[in-house]
Amino acid sequence: MEPREERASGFRKETVNKILHLHFRDDKTKISSDALLLMAEMLKVFVRAAARGARQAQAEDLDRVDIEHVEKVLPQLLLDF
Amino acid sequence: MEPEGEPERERLLHTQRLKAAVHYTVGCLSQEVAEDKEIQFSKQSIAAISEITFRQCENFAKDLEMFARHGKRTIINTEDVKLLARRSNSLLRYITQKSEELALNNLEQKERKKKKSSAAKGRTTSDEQMEAGIAESEDSNMA
Repeated sequence: MEPREERASGFRKETVNKILHLHFRDDKTKISSDALLLMAEMLKVFVRAAARGARQAQAEDLDRVDIEHVEKVLPQLLLDF
Repeated sequence: MEPEGEPERERLLHTQRLKAAVHYTVGCLSQEVAEDKEIQFSKQSIAAISEITFRQCENFAKDLEMFARHGKRTIINTEDVKLLARRSNSLLRYITQKSEELALNNLEQKERKKKKSSAAKGRTTSDEQMEAGIAESEDSNMA
């Protein structure tokens, strides 16, 4: 993956923290600050992979990336993650 | 008055807010891809990616929690996150690289703090405020 310069977009640490905490089973579970930053990166990669994959699936059609293109890449996306 | 309904509603609202935050960021990231490839994403495709991302977080969270527990810890660390990235080689490489950058960054920050405290203690406050300001702005990427 080409290393990009820091763009404006990305997931905030606090948001990532809250989302993950939604699904923890143990009240005592916490996540370190660095791990949070890494998870934010991970999610960024996930979204980019989904978007780019959908874009490629769309290469056949003309107009724009639609939900069916997202559906096409979903299996591989989930396998990779 | 149904007091049992309240916590449920609170939780739902909380989840909605988080989904909205994800949706926003997914929109931004997709916009970057769109500009790069000179194409457009339909609203439904953005919504789909957003939903998929949010759901994937559940798997991530549960896995992370289990990895930490397996290591007899309650605090999830970067090693746990790396484990999460094991399924794709390129992903693992990328995350490992980011993790090393983070470690380097932390080291540099420690060095800076050491130098400051060994120098004059009096004038450090404005420097620290500036650093804190920089650290904050890196995080405040989205509304």
